[in-house]
Amino acid sequence: MLAEGVRPRFDSDEEILRAAQYRLLSRFLAAPPDQALLSVVAGFEGDETPLGRTLGTLGRLARRMTPAEAADEYFNLFIGVGRGELLPYASYYLTGFLHEKPLARLRRDMARLGIVRADHVKEPEDHMAAICEMLAGLIEGAFGEAADLATQQRFFDDHLAPWAERFFADLEAARSAVLYAPVGTAGRLFFEIERTAFGMAE
Amino acid sequence: MRRDEDKKPAGRRDFLRLASLGAVSGTVAAIAGGAPSESQAAEADQRAKGYRETLHVKKFYELARF
Repeated sequence: MLAEGVRPRFDSDEEILRAAQYRLLSRFLAAPPDQALLSVVAGFEGDETPLGRTLGTLGRLARRMTPAEAADEYFNLFIGVGRGELLPYASYYLTGFLHEKPLARLRRDMARLGIVRADHVKEPEDHMAAICEMLAGLIEGAFGEAADLATQQRFFDDHLAPWAERFFADLEAARSAVLYAPVGTAGRLFFEIERTAFGMAE
Repeated sequence: MRRDEDKKPAGRRDFLRLASLGAVSGTVAAIAGGAPSESQAAEADQRAKGYRETLHVKKFYELARF
């Protein structure tokens, strides 16, 4: 969601779609999908590319799934009794523990970029949903002026590249994942695309 | 920060276009503006003690810069 009063400044359709893809992943990871999100995703038809086929699969599953079923799946994946199947935090993926240096590094960059955690959020900022939301905001200019590609790439290299593909591959293969299996595939493919595309910008 | 899109190689855009990000096109507004309603958020909250809303981060308040 765009911050109020912020007008996004996109230069091209590709940048709009990148931001949308980050927001899509963020929404699925931040909270169980509500009917509104399921309905939007149910419209995905996909195409012949790997990412397109995956989004088509996600669309088909979204058409069949109720918010209650999706919430059960979300609970098993990310909340659990005790803990969920996955811990979607950079610190955990990179060090095996929460609240470690990757979180400190992210907080330092957030301060520099003028980003703060929303008031109601208690979880550490290095949750995958939050980091995806930050990069979407940098593309859109939700935190001030839209970030140039070099700034985006630094943020991507520092906070996403080291663990994003591994996390989404884990989500893809998670025991509880049905609706979330294609979310995992889409994330893995998208981050591969982003990594390659940033490489072309150099 | 200044945008320097003009200097960006065309290759990157072509690559992104071919990579089928287009599959999410047309849904941008719905996704971007789709924060859950209060009742939906409350419903979700009973299950998830995780993020209650989609928006977890925000722009640093202007005031705090003074």
